[in-house]
Formats: sequence, C-alpha cells, structure tokens
Amino acid sequence: MKDFLLEINVEELPTSYVRPALDKLKNAFIERLNRERIGHGDISAFGTAGALICYVKDMSLKQEELSQEISGPPKKIAFDENGNPTPQGIGFAKNQGVDIKDLKIKQMPKGEYVFIVKKIKSRPAKEVLRNLIPEIVKSIGFPKTMKWDDSGMRFARPIESIVVLLDKENIKIKLGNVPAKVIKGTSAGAYLKKLEKACILDQDKRKTEICNMIKSIQKKLGLDEYVDKNLLEETNFLVKSPVLMIGDFDKKYLMIPRDVLAASMSKHQRIFTLSKNNKLVNKFIAVIDGKGRNIAKMKKQYANILEARLKDSLFFYNEDIKKPLSAQTLKLKDLIFQKDLGNMFEKIQRLEELSSFISERINIDAAKREDIRKAAYLCKSDLVTQMVGEFPSLQGAMGMEYALKSGEKKSVAIAIKEHYLPKGLDDSLPETIEGAILAISDRIDNIVGLLGSGIEPKGSFDPFGVRRNTQGLIQILNHKSLRLELSSLIKKAIESYKGKLKISQEELEKKVINYTKERLEFLAPDTRPIELKQAVLKSDCNDIVGVFKRVEALSEISAEKYFLKAAKVCERTSNILKGAKSANIGAVNESLLKEDLEKEVWRAYTTNSAAIKNLIKEERYKEATKAYGEAFFETLHRFFDKVLVNAEDNALRENRLAMMQAINELYTNDVADLAMLPQIVV
Amino acid sequence: MKKLTFQEVIEKLNKFWSARGCIIVEPLDTEVGAGTFHPATFFKSLGKEKWRAAYVQPSRRPCDGRYADNPLRLQHYYQYQVIIKPTVPDIKKIYLDSLKALGIDLKAHEVRFVEDDWESPTLGASGLGWEVWLDSLEITQFTYFQQVAGIELDLVPCEITYGLERICMFIQERFNLFDLEWHNGVTYGDIHKQHEIEYSKYNFEEASIEMYSKMFEYFEKEANRLVDSGLMYPAYSFVLKASHAFNVLDARGAISQNERPRYIARVRSLAKRCAELYLNNKLTL
Repeated sequence: MKDFLLEINVEELPTSYVRPALDKLKNAFIERLNRERIGHGDISAFGTAGALICYVKDMSLKQEELSQEISGPPKKIAFDENGNPTPQGIGFAKNQGVDIKDLKIKQMPKGEYVFIVKKIKSRPAKEVLRNLIPEIVKSIGFPKTMKWDDSGMRFARPIESIVVLLDKENIKIKLGNVPAKVIKGTSAGAYLKKLEKACILDQDKRKTEICNMIKSIQKKLGLDEYVDKNLLEETNFLVKSPVLMIGDFDKKYLMIPRDVLAASMSKHQRIFTLSKNNKLVNKFIAVIDGKGRNIAKMKKQYANILEARLKDSLFFYNEDIKKPLSAQTLKLKDLIFQKDLGNMFEKIQRLEELSSFISERINIDAAKREDIRKAAYLCKSDLVTQMVGEFPSLQGAMGMEYALKSGEKKSVAIAIKEHYLPKGLDDSLPETIEGAILAISDRIDNIVGLLGSGIEPKGSFDPFGVRRNTQGLIQILNHKSLRLELSSLIKKAIESYKGKLKISQEELEKKVINYTKERLEFLAPDTRPIELKQAVLKSDCNDIVGVFKRVEALSEISAEKYFLKAAKVCERTSNILKGAKSANIGAVNESLLKEDLEKEVWRAYTTNSAAIKNLIKEERYKEATKAYGEAFFETLHRFFDKVLVNAEDNALRENRLAMMQAINELYTNDVADLAMLPQIVV
Repeated sequence: MKKLTFQEVIEKLNKFWSARGCIIVEPLDTEVGAGTFHPATFFKSLGKEKWRAAYVQPSRRPCDGRYADNPLRLQHYYQYQVIIKPTVPDIKKIYLDSLKALGIDLKAHEVRFVEDDWESPTLGASGLGWEVWLDSLEITQFTYFQQVAGIELDLVPCEITYGLERICMFIQERFNLFDLEWHNGVTYGDIHKQHEIEYSKYNFEEASIEMYSKMFEYFEKEANRLVDSGLMYPAYSFVLKASHAFNVLDARGAISQNERPRYIARVRSLAKRCAELYLNNKLTL
C-alpha cells in the first residue's frame, strides 16, 4: 500500500468554484476507487484557486480479486443419473470457458443447480488509474466551462499542468493536450510536504488562519471583532499565503451611508471594513498574498483607489440628497416595470391600493395606515437615484437612508427597506407590520403581473422570480401571523391591474394558488409523514397561517393511535365516495335510516359534529382529530362490516352516501384530507 | 529605473508584443466602446487562420463621463489591445513579463486574477477570464474568447486589454489620471481635460436625442443595405456608428430599461450579419 497524489494546476479558478470542485473531486475518488475495488485509507482534497489536489492514503497497488457465481441449468439436466455430463452440461461449461470438472452444485429454492465460480482478474492500480483520472476530472463539473485548445477538453479555466504520483511512480496520463509532469525520485508524501511548505494548502486551515489574523488585529486596536463571512470565503481563495495589511482613508468619507461604504470596499476591492461600537472607522484590512511585498506603497495604492471610488459615491450621495426622496417619485413614470405591465409609477399606485386593502382586512389603525400609504408611495423612488443606479444592490437600503434624510418617519423609512425582504430563501424577513404589508403587496403584485402577462418559470429557470416571490409571500404571512384570505388578495391584485393582464381572472387565480401550493411544499421540511403537507393543502390553503398551524399540529401527533383512527375514517369514507356512481349526494334524510348500525353512525354524527366543528374553529386541531377519530372509527367499522352502502335501492344508497360525505367533510374540508396518507394502519 | 511616460508605455508595449510576433495595427478611426470592436479583433477572431496583433484603441463610453471631476473615470480613454489567436499555453506568463518590461516589480507588488467573464452584448462576443488587479487597481481585462457575433470560435483567441491610464497611474505613482505625464512634462490633463469636460456636457446634456434617434435608424438601415450588397467593411462601419449612437442616447437618459435590450439586440443582429458575410466571403475567395 502506497500513498497517491493528484495535483491539477489550473489558471486561477473563480473563487466560488474551488470548494465545490474539491468536494466533488474527493467524492469522485471515493466512489470510483470503491467501484474499481482499489483499497484505500483516508482521502482528502485541498487546494487554492490555482491548484486542486487529491491525496489518497494507503492505496492498494492492485484491485481486489473478485469471484462471481454464475448459475447454469438444473443438476438433473446437466448430469444424467450416473453423474455423467449431458450435452447441456458440456455446453454450459464451454460457454463459460471452464472445464467440466469445475462445475459445482448448489441447493437453490427450486432445487439443485449447476454453477461455476468465475474469477475476475485484478489489474494493477496504476493501470486502472490511467483511465480513472480523466474520468474523475471530467466529472468535477463547473457552472461554466471553456475550451482553450484543439483537444476539445473543457474545464473552468485552462489546465496548466498535472502531477500524478503513486508513491514514487509517475502515472502517465493526459488531460486534453496536457501530459502529466515527470517528477523524479519523489514520493507522493514528499511531494505534498514540498507543496505545503510553499503556502497554506488546506483551505480550512487557511481560512481559520486569515480569520484569526483579522480578529487579533481587531482586538489589538480595540475594534469590534467581526469578520464578513462571504468576503472571508472569497478571500480565502484569492490568496495562498495570507499576509494582512491595515490601511486607512480620509475620515470625510465616513459620512457616506454604511451600506455604500461596505459595498465599495468589499465588492470592488475585496477589503474588510472595520468598526468600533458598531460604527465604521476610517480603516480597512486587506489580505494579500505572499511575504516580501512593498507594503508601504501597496497600502497607499489601496487607499487611493478606495478614495477615488468613494469620491464617486460621495458625489452621488450629495447629488441625491439635494432633493427630498419624494421629488424622485414622479421620475418613476419613465422607468418601465415590465414589458406590457406599464411603468414603476403605476406600480406604486397599485401598491398603495393593495397595502390599504390589506391594512383594512387585518384592522390596522388609522395612523399606521397613513404610514404604510406613504411608504408605498416612496418605496421605489430610490431606483431613480444616482447611487442605486451605480450600486443596484443598495435598493431599499438607500431608500431608507434618503427617506430619513428627507425627514420621513422612521417607521416609513424602515418599511421602505423591509419591503424588499426576503431577498432569498434564507434571508431575513420584515419585522415591522408596515414593512410586512408593503412586502406582501409588492410580491402579490409581481406574481399576478408576471403570471398574468404569460411569464412563467421553466424548469429550474425562473428569471423573473415568480417562485421566489411566492415563497417570500408565504414566509412573510406566516412570520407575522397575518390571517389574510389569499383568494381575495389575488382578486384585489388582479383588479388593480385594470385589465392590463392577458390571462383571465379565473385561470390566473388558479395559477397563483398552484404556485403557492408548490412553494408550500418546500417549506416546513420537518413534517412527518411527508404526505401530510399534501393532505393539509388539499383541504384549504386560503389561509397560509392556518396551513402552517395544521401541518405543525398534525405532524406532532401523526404517530398517535387516535390520529391513525381519524385517518382511517377519512380513508374509508373517501374510498366509498370515490366508488359511488350517484352524482347527486344531498343531505341526510333521517327517515330513510333503516338499519340499527346506520342509525348508530348517524347518532355519532349528530352528537359529536358540533363539538368537533367548534374545536376546528378554535384551531384545537389535536383535540379535534382525537374527537373525530374516537367518534367514528369503531362505529364505522361495525357499519361497514354489516351494512352495504351501495344498496340496490337508489334512495337508500344515496342517503348512506350522504352520511359518508357528511362525516368525511366534517374533517377534510377544514383540517386535512388524511386519506392521502400512505398505508394507514391502526 | 526611470518612470515611464504615457507615450513610453505604449512604445514599450509595441516593442514587447512586436517581438512576440504581433502585427502592430493602427487605431480604428470610428468611435468605438472598446478595442474589441476593431476589425483586427472582431473579424480576425473568426475563422481558422492564426492571427496576432496589438494596437492602441481610443475608446468612448459616454455614460462614464465625470466632467473631469473623477480621478479614475473618463468617457474617452485608451485601451491597449492584444489579440493572440490561437492562445498559447504560457500566455499568462508572457503577460506578466510584459508588466515586468514596463518596470513593474512583481515581487514587491501583488497581481491578482479576479474572475470576470467578459461579455459584449452588442457584439455578441463573450469569453471567460479575469480582471487583472495590481494592488487592487484594475489594470487589464484578460479573456479567452469563446464566441464572437454569437458564433462559436474554431480557434480560441486570448484577448488582453490593458487600461493604459491605470498602468501609468501605477508606474508614475499619480492617483489622478489628469496628472499623468504624457511626455516631456506635458500632462494627460493638458491634452484631454477640456475634451473630457466638454464631452461630458455634450453626452449628458447637449446631444440631440432627436438627431441620434434618427441617425440610429439611418445607420441600421444603411448597414443592412450594405450587407445585402456584400460590402462587409462599409456595412460594419455603420454597425459601429449605430452602436455609438445608442451609447449617446443611453447617456442622455433617452433609453428606458425596457428599450435597452431591444437596441442592443438590433446592433447585435447587424454585427452577426457582418460576421456571417465575413466568413462567407472567405469561403468564396
């Protein structure tokens, strides 16, 4: 057993590609070595933007031997009574390329059979690796690849060189036009040591090192100990041997809003902002690569470039605050929202309408309503400011900043910023009610507008964010526990487009509801059983908060006996209704109840239904489920045993079906259609 | 080592790339947004012939004007463009050598290759590569072209675009580009400051929207007509004029978010027609 090393030297990969590539490299080695029966110890992958390395400890030099059993005809066909091979027996041996005496007998469930044991030859590891490595490298896969020569090889950036060592032996392979380098007299282990001397090769070690260096400087200078996670990860793959440099810039730029400063520093120069008591200071940390640099000159250079950029930002900022934010709003008339959907000014008019509709529905007091209306009027105005023109990612943050500068109320300013939340799946949600209502209005307006003009996600491609908007809408409603009827919100949103939409109201409503259901399925991942979400959604998803409440409550009791009883009641009644031929099932007619058992079922209904309905109304779902299961499970069981629901007599049959329907809908209409759960066993 | 003047930087680069087999081409005499628009890059990237060229290209980006107020931004500046087709395995090392040839000490300073996949939507050109940072100052765009005019390339060219002003800022240690020494004590500002101020004013405030809108239509029509009659170079020059008219309209704020992609698509489809004509003409030659 020997150690193995693969090194792929590549022109600088995009920083975000390196970690996933290393993970894939490692997994590909594990998977393929196992597949090829090559024994191995620990496998690790590490590297930088310029080198991907995989190191395998204690690799076997040969594939493990494998023997395979191949069974043939039954013994009594392959051999005659005297134990001599028949033509069939000889044929099987010949086909498999073995001697007749190698045929063995085995007891199988159907009797005795002939079989052979075939040995699969084991090849030397280096021979297997020669084919395996190109396959592994190709399997890495990147978001974007390129070609650079006539070999047809694709990779994220051109491959410069490769080294493949199995202990001291060079394995001769080629990736595209690049042959493996010849390394003389160096073992894989020694080669790795040499690489490790030149830089910090291990990405996790390097990251910790950078983080610790930054924190120790922050501590020394009495600054807040905070390291931007994303920038740290990016920086980690911009350098190999991190060295820290601390620089400063002119204090006057600190008047620029924090978000702008941070964007300029971290995005454009990849340098870390520093703060004291949560206020930025006029200093930065840059992580550079390698020792022996001219730090004094570099520092000056970083600071000068930073100041040149900040000068631009300061210019924009000063231009923007010359006028109040509301002075920008009319300019939204020149900004298109979406093709066929008019301009942004029309959009904010709809947002005013929608947010006041929501405020009314959930009984927001008059003063807050006025703030929400104001925030709706101002929420898109920062889009036409110079700063957001330059830094689009600052939308919302600048709106808030400028609103405050213009003397707007704090709650209005915060709502402007919050109405863009959540920006993604894991982003934070609006905390103020003003922000939440505006965010809901903006999302439903986007969803209805996009779907209504025929823009729909295709597969995983959702360029306008229909799904993102829907998911955000659901999350906000749930987060703020807003009991809002979804269908009336959709109707209102459609109405506020005043006939601009291509798709009919009915069809559009259905589409929006469908996307909502689809997104709901992605939320509440801990639900057990998983089908429970479907079951709850089948009942009613007009009230998102209610959906979450039901999913949560039922998930907690899904292993209880009474839950399973309730599920069984749903299932049995639903099955009988599915099979029913009668189209018109009406109300139960008590005078038609004939058998004692059916009278008993109906009595169970009349005595319990009001209480169950009440429990449901009070959202005491656990108790409702228990009451439901206990009221009907046994009674129905006896009933189904003895009474034929689908009786010959039409009136009798329809009455029994009506009873089944009443029982079924008592629960499934407002809680969950538990018949959708798999394998309900009480 | 004496600090190179703007003029000397160009001389050094010409000498450096000339020694590596590049034809030193002269700038294109039409307004363009980047060196890529020069036929020596746009057309020559297409087809199966090898090609190496280098040249200075004055470039105009009307939206980037800052009335000579910003130390880093200009609406008219100079690119030094190198095109090596097909690319060679040690092209990155050669590029770093070119920086050394300009007297830049790469041990004392840090060169960083930061992912930036360059794209010119109007030319339908795109590639993978980097912005090259010298102590966090972006000095070069380095791209392996994959497509030009929407056509997948047979031979992958490497395009190296130096920002001449930025490199001079570093070499001369001056952090305002108007203070750069062009030569003999004459500054970049002496030559260009007034030009910058006037053109910023013109692009943002004065350019006639009506005239440029009409011109765009005329140029587009003329380009199409010329492609129809097989005159590739004249057709292409009208594509460039249309592209510049679009840029001026954009700076004037006359193009809404919604119209933008449509204008770009119109220029791109003209560029594509020219590229197809170029490939066709070569077949019949």
